[in-house]
Amino acid sequence: MQDDFHYYATYCAAIISGYSHEESLEICYSAELVDHCSRTLLSKIRAPLAAATTQLQSELMDARTDILEIQNITRIWASFHFLPFDLRAKLKHRSALYMNKYRLICNTNSDLLVDTVHLAGGGSLQAAGIAMHILADTWAHRYFAGTPSLVINNVNSYCYELISDEEKHRERAVTFHHNPVLSDDVYKGYYSNSVYQVRENSIMNLGHGRAGHLPDYSFIRYKYLPAWGEYAEIIKDNPSDYYHAFCQMIYAMKVLRGTYPIFEKEKYDTKAVTPWEDEIHEILTRRRLNASKDWKEFGERLSGHTIEDFDLGKFQEEYGNADKKLRDNTFLGKFCLAAMAQKSMVTNQIYKSGNMLAGFSVDYDKFGFKGIKDFMKLVENEKRGS
Amino acid sequence: MSKVQKVTNVLTGLFMLLCSGIMILFPEIGSHLIIIILSAALLVYSLRLLFYYFVMARHMVGGKAVLYRGIIIFDLAIFTTLMAEIPQIYVMLYLLGCYLFSGVIDTFNALEAKRLGTPLWRAKLGLGVFSMVTSIVCLFFIRSTNIFVYIYCGGLISSACIRIANAFRKTAIAYVR
Repeated sequence: MQDDFHYYATYCAAIISGYSHEESLEICYSAELVDHCSRTLLSKIRAPLAAATTQLQSELMDARTDILEIQNITRIWASFHFLPFDLRAKLKHRSALYMNKYRLICNTNSDLLVDTVHLAGGGSLQAAGIAMHILADTWAHRYFAGTPSLVINNVNSYCYELISDEEKHRERAVTFHHNPVLSDDVYKGYYSNSVYQVRENSIMNLGHGRAGHLPDYSFIRYKYLPAWGEYAEIIKDNPSDYYHAFCQMIYAMKVLRGTYPIFEKEKYDTKAVTPWEDEIHEILTRRRLNASKDWKEFGERLSGHTIEDFDLGKFQEEYGNADKKLRDNTFLGKFCLAAMAQKSMVTNQIYKSGNMLAGFSVDYDKFGFKGIKDFMKLVENEKRGS
Repeated sequence: MSKVQKVTNVLTGLFMLLCSGIMILFPEIGSHLIIIILSAALLVYSLRLLFYYFVMARHMVGGKAVLYRGIIIFDLAIFTTLMAEIPQIYVMLYLLGCYLFSGVIDTFNALEAKRLGTPLWRAKLGLGVFSMVTSIVCLFFIRSTNIFVYIYCGGLISSACIRIANAFRKTAIAYVR
């Protein structure tokens, strides 16, 4: 997903769920920030590096593929962009190495999603924004894993776009190229993707890299053979998935606001969307690379306020100028705390399932504080809270 | 990192340091040792590919390609290992090419880091420029075995140090309920 959904559509969902304009802006800013909060950014503003929620292309190209780096990559991508569906999935005649990767495949309505929404409950608006990013990505990134893996994430040449125009349905083979400078051509069907690399842990095999940006476009419908699917075809209907994501975000934010007591799987607030259903479907199905303009116009009509564009530098000065002890109370400070709490929770769940791909997790209540120092902030925050 | 992985990393690092020490002390045998290491690396890589196929890739759509690749590289590795003499100049050009390429990549990364405002860009740029200058300077001394061995050892030593340092890094994540 891109800024059109993470920023503008999240704003719309927040308004519909009952948040004010200012609160909705904070939520959608945090949801979008998840795609920008890299170690590079954090080192620039001197924030804890463990709060990274994404990795820039330059960071990924620089990354080694040893066990520590794989764990770091998996912690970031599985926690924030490819939330695992079933950490204890079982398949016959598969090695443990294979199953560790297979169990990280992302899908919607997982136990971890419930944990994610509940973790954000009672927390900051930044935590709500992060949770909405993760929730939305479970729809866009389903069937891919947030760890480098050829055997899970590879997409071969069997990939066809399903096009419906003037009541005609046709299939068009997707042509992939590897030139990052060329933008995708939605009319000719030329899309960029990552280069085929036979190394299992190559960075090229992370997430949906091999499927290019197809999962990021709301209008597209396509079919392909997922590497893990034993030659069974999958039809990916993005307009439908994105619509479900939108309705589920509204429901989740109503839970965070206290309208509903707990977050339950497979619940979507379609009723709240009914007055704008046709308009939302139209935005989702229009062919173009980015739907920000339409979502923005829709959001401004919903709230009656102007939605400012996303500005990465907006809160950096506030964070930089704040006293060190008070930094956690700034916008970015709260974002970092929420990000580390999410990363810590997902890493713990993966670790407890016997999978070491996200690294070690040490339960503070049982063993005291051990490991990466940045996470001490979570302990301090907990003490402040209690 | 588990205890076994830590121990393996430290031992591998120490072995790499030992090899580099031997090559620096006896550069005349160093070039042959490098060729042996490169051939062995190819052999290990092919065996890893075959292992990867049987453990993981056979369940993947199109996974047979991994098997074929493994067999071909295994064949190539055996062929390379059996070759009595590889002209040293080709091995040197290969190594210098790799070094120059890594320098260019480091420089590009540094420029990208500078654009993004990260304070680490100077160190990256320094490393990139150093690699490029070293490889270009070495081209003028391509007939010198010693320089060729020293460059290779430099890379080996830095890799060994990174491995050992990684084994002692704190990497666990605290979980606060």
